[in-house]
Amino acid sequence: MATTASFQSAAEFRTVLDRVFTMMSEDPEIGPRLHAADVPQRFAFPDLDLVVNIRATYDEEYGNLIWVWSDDVDWEPRVRMEMASDTANRYFQGKESIALAVARRRIKTSGDVMAALTLIPIIKPVHAAFARVVEAEYPHLRI
Amino acid sequence: MTTEQELSTPEVARRVGVTPATLRRWIASQVIPMQAGSAWTQGMVAHARIVARLRERGHSLAEIRQATEDGRLAFGYAEDLLRIDDAEYTLKQAAKDTGLEPALIERIGSSLGFSTSWTEQLTEDDVQMLRYGAAALAAGLPLVAFLQLCRVYGQALAQIADAEVRLFHLYVHEPMMREGMPGLQIAEQMEGLTRQLLPLASPMMDHLHQRFLHHFVEQDVIGHMEADLGDTQLDLGRLRVAIAFADLAGYTRLTEEQGEEEAVSAVERFVEAVEHTLPEDARVIKTIGDEVMIVGSDPAALVDWAVGFQQLMVKRPLPRIGVHYGETLYREGDYYGREVNLAARVAARSAGGEVIVTRPLVEVAGPHLEFERIGEVRLKGFAHSTELFLARPGDDD
Repeated sequence: MATTASFQSAAEFRTVLDRVFTMMSEDPEIGPRLHAADVPQRFAFPDLDLVVNIRATYDEEYGNLIWVWSDDVDWEPRVRMEMASDTANRYFQGKESIALAVARRRIKTSGDVMAALTLIPIIKPVHAAFARVVEAEYPHLRI
Repeated sequence: MTTEQELSTPEVARRVGVTPATLRRWIASQVIPMQAGSAWTQGMVAHARIVARLRERGHSLAEIRQATEDGRLAFGYAEDLLRIDDAEYTLKQAAKDTGLEPALIERIGSSLGFSTSWTEQLTEDDVQMLRYGAAALAAGLPLVAFLQLCRVYGQALAQIADAEVRLFHLYVHEPMMREGMPGLQIAEQMEGLTRQLLPLASPMMDHLHQRFLHHFVEQDVIGHMEADLGDTQLDLGRLRVAIAFADLAGYTRLTEEQGEEEAVSAVERFVEAVEHTLPEDARVIKTIGDEVMIVGSDPAALVDWAVGFQQLMVKRPLPRIGVHYGETLYREGDYYGREVNLAARVAARSAGGEVIVTRPLVEVAGPHLEFERIGEVRLKGFAHSTELFLARPGDDD
């Protein structure tokens, strides 16, 4: 059974996810690898009515990744994922197998999901770092 | 143990197994690239051993000289870094020292994968290893389990050593030769690199061993907690597990159409995707070509994985997956028996993109899955038919 740990608000969810994406973008090992993989993704979180699009930065942009909390972007995602915010919490803490979550209808996917699978080993260290942040600053999200 | 004392030509000849005159002839003809009268280095002794082996196999001195100049024998110099001590114990002495019966020492050697002549040349390190084994047995580890562990250690470590040498050859040695680097320079660089890398391997393996032990101890504890206590007790050495086989449909055709490199890349991507998505309690037991065998303790989770994995795989070549749940014989890190064979046959019935399962899995699967009954199917090699089902995600609502 999946353990549920809920965000207190949509604002908190955005703050936390911003933190995760920043970790991914700025980590000296992970950031460049995600940039090189160049897999634009769209995440939708229907329970909070939130959408975020994330892609590798272009030459003139800062960092390795850029993300926008809307669909008003000038690029097409290669992979789309839809999940509830508590599933996202588990997913970004590395506690949710994507295959199991898809079968159990906790995550819906479309597009080139194989490309997203290639990112799993790259972002694994972020899961542990994020879990440490949760432990220290967001204990109610602990799983 | 490395000795710093200078070696004489007769001593080197003894170690290599040839006459001193033969050694001098090899030096004179530059088959061994050292100056007459200069001191023997351990690298040159290792090279002489390789020359002796190649001579035994019928290679001419001219061929060996050319191979030496090209750097093809350069890795042999690294052999010095891996030198095995001289034999110090007879089998009888080792038995007396360790308290193990001579026949048991022979069985241990055979389980580890050593040749039968191993007991004729036991070194201090060999005997130390046997002392550890004796201590494990004295501590209460059953002999049947100990011998299986020896076989697993032997096979796994032989595979690791083989991969280390082959990968070093492919990605370090070969490129140097292709660049046309002189043989001696290659040998020096190879020896230097080996000297740097070698001390790193054992600590890495120790660490990985600890990490994996931690993981599997945890899984074992969870398995005990979640085991169906109402089940019939299994015989010793048997485990009830979920078994999945998965491979890529049309792999042979893919190899023919797109070449081996692309086909191998497709297999690598497939196996990595499997490994990165498996449930916590499941793991890849082995891969054979494009086929993967997975075993897990939670049958419902493994069916979920199979169905979810198929949904993630949208590009050809598509996987075909079969899952079964049953009692297996656990031996030497692997799973055997009728139920394993059955799982393989179930997978063979599936087409690309499909998951086929047997009745026991339908009974434990969650309500989010649907199962279409295929019927009673007589699988190849089985006298009785097996009820098969096509598994897929249920409707959203």
